[in-house]
Amino acid sequence: MEILTGIIDNYYYMVAIILFVIGMYTMLTHANMIKKVIAMNIMDTSVFLLFVAIGYTHGAQAPIIKEGADIIYVNPLPGALMLTGIVVAVSVTAYALSLVVKIYRFYETCDYDEICEIRSLE
Amino acid sequence: MGIADHFPALIVVVLFAAAFLSPLLYRYAEKISAPFVIASLLLSLLMSIALLVQVQQFGPVFYHMGGWPPPWGIEFSADPIRVYILIVVTAVSLWIFLYALRDLKHELKKEVIGWYYTLYSILVGSMAGIALTNDLFNLFVLMEICAISACAIISIKEDRECLEASFKYLILSAMGTGCFLLGVAMIYMATGYLNYSFIQAALAEAIVHYPLNIFTAAALFIVAFGTKAALFPLHVWLPDAHASAPTPSSAMLSGLVIKIYAFALFLMFYHVFPRGMLTTIPLNEIILWMAALGTMFGSVYAMIQTDLKKMLAFSSIGQISYIFMGIGFHHDLALVGAFYHIMVHAITKALLFMTAGVIIYSTGVRKISDLAGIGRILPLTMLAFTIGSASMVGIPGTGGLISKWYLALSALEIGRPLFVLVILASSLLNAIYYMPIVINAFMHQEDFIHEVRPVPRYMLASLIVGMFFVIVTGFFSRPVVTLLEQAAILLF
Repeated sequence: MEILTGIIDNYYYMVAIILFVIGMYTMLTHANMIKKVIAMNIMDTSVFLLFVAIGYTHGAQAPIIKEGADIIYVNPLPGALMLTGIVVAVSVTAYALSLVVKIYRFYETCDYDEICEIRSLE
Repeated sequence: MGIADHFPALIVVVLFAAAFLSPLLYRYAEKISAPFVIASLLLSLLMSIALLVQVQQFGPVFYHMGGWPPPWGIEFSADPIRVYILIVVTAVSLWIFLYALRDLKHELKKEVIGWYYTLYSILVGSMAGIALTNDLFNLFVLMEICAISACAIISIKEDRECLEASFKYLILSAMGTGCFLLGVAMIYMATGYLNYSFIQAALAEAIVHYPLNIFTAAALFIVAFGTKAALFPLHVWLPDAHASAPTPSSAMLSGLVIKIYAFALFLMFYHVFPRGMLTTIPLNEIILWMAALGTMFGSVYAMIQTDLKKMLAFSSIGQISYIFMGIGFHHDLALVGAFYHIMVHAITKALLFMTAGVIIYSTGVRKISDLAGIGRILPLTMLAFTIGSASMVGIPGTGGLISKWYLALSALEIGRPLFVLVILASSLLNAIYYMPIVINAFMHQEDFIHEVRPVPRYMLASLIVGMFFVIVTGFFSRPVVTLLEQAAILLF
């Protein structure tokens, strides 16, 4: 029961973890390379969501400090970090896609299983 | 503040700056572009040595980026072990670069060589950053830089094997960084800090309230760094990537890149997680058994390879396991062995890949069975191969013995003689696949049948430097071991 209430209270963490596992599973098992790259992005995004969720405080305001006022602010650090994380994820994606294009030029397919078949025939 | 106070940041900045200037120089002033990169690598090596002197005299150095103190700002810290790794990284990469100057001309198209210099400098800079940084998120960013540039120095040689290998490497290393970032989120959730020292202080209390978070983070870190450093069941990307890459890239990847992640795992264990945690949950035990299996299977796989570079790549899996074993023993002598092995294996494996590169350059032969009789044609190259293999096996007089000696010693100290047997058995397995090549090369009766091109003096000079250092690390290990012993004793 304790676990169940814990899960219900923190459902947004669960969403992030489920997305993470979906991304990881697809990335490792799917044969299509474009889908692998998409799954990589899902996995990264899930962690970004988790980070942003950590910084959220219920009923708090954006962290623009007003002198003298007694206000609760949300934590701005996770948001700033995830901005960097998004940039990193974009550059990895760009590089991965460029590799897929180059591989496609050799084999005329994006499917890893088909590539293995072509190679075994040689 | 004098300029010497900024050395921790400057080491990384110099390399990154050189990275962005070198393609420009290559385009407009080709003659000075390579000396420019050499100068920047040399400069960062000299600064690392100056930093070591500074650390030895005045104790650990903490550098705050932009003057912002932690936990707000990013912090670089330099203690003896980190600076030691820094020196290994910069020195070995300088040596590999000197070899690369000649070798790249026949492996890459002329237009991309300037870009290769860029990727190379970024790779070295990010590894130096990983060794120095004291901030988890900064570590994540540097790891991604390192991963992309490591993949790119494979895929820059645009043939099919290289492209596929680097895609495979990129996907698995993206899985590693994904796991790492999730682990960072878990720790940030429990403590609210990203700075190693602050986390370690806060976790001692937080572990009582959020044990599951911290244990999950530890498990994720093992998967993340295990994948990136090719710890045994997570090694699948390594053989293709290291075997198909251009030779200087192979030397770099096998020699340094996988080790920097093993070192990062060490930093997590000893500088991020609280001291008592390693003894209460069996993290070390997991690493120890994975490493023990890795030493065996790496060698067994290496034995059945027919391609020389692939064999060397599989041998790296066995050798990186020694380093993980040293971390897993949780004992100061074992750490000395592990860190000594980082240096020895960086030099030895780079030397072996270079000899493979020279053989491929000169004769075009890649298959092990075709190497018979080559010792009489390329005596110096095969002498380098012999010395390198001797160090891999751990024959007295080479660096490989010292690290295995310390590992075995600490296995006895903590009362687990089984692992002494593992180390011995894996050394024998190493001998089984390295020695036949050496014996066939020199003793084979018939002549070598393939055409032979003369080897450039530049390449031979790099081989001689490598042989020299393999022997030096075998005979004069005392200063380094003393440095490591003093540093390791403080961790317990």
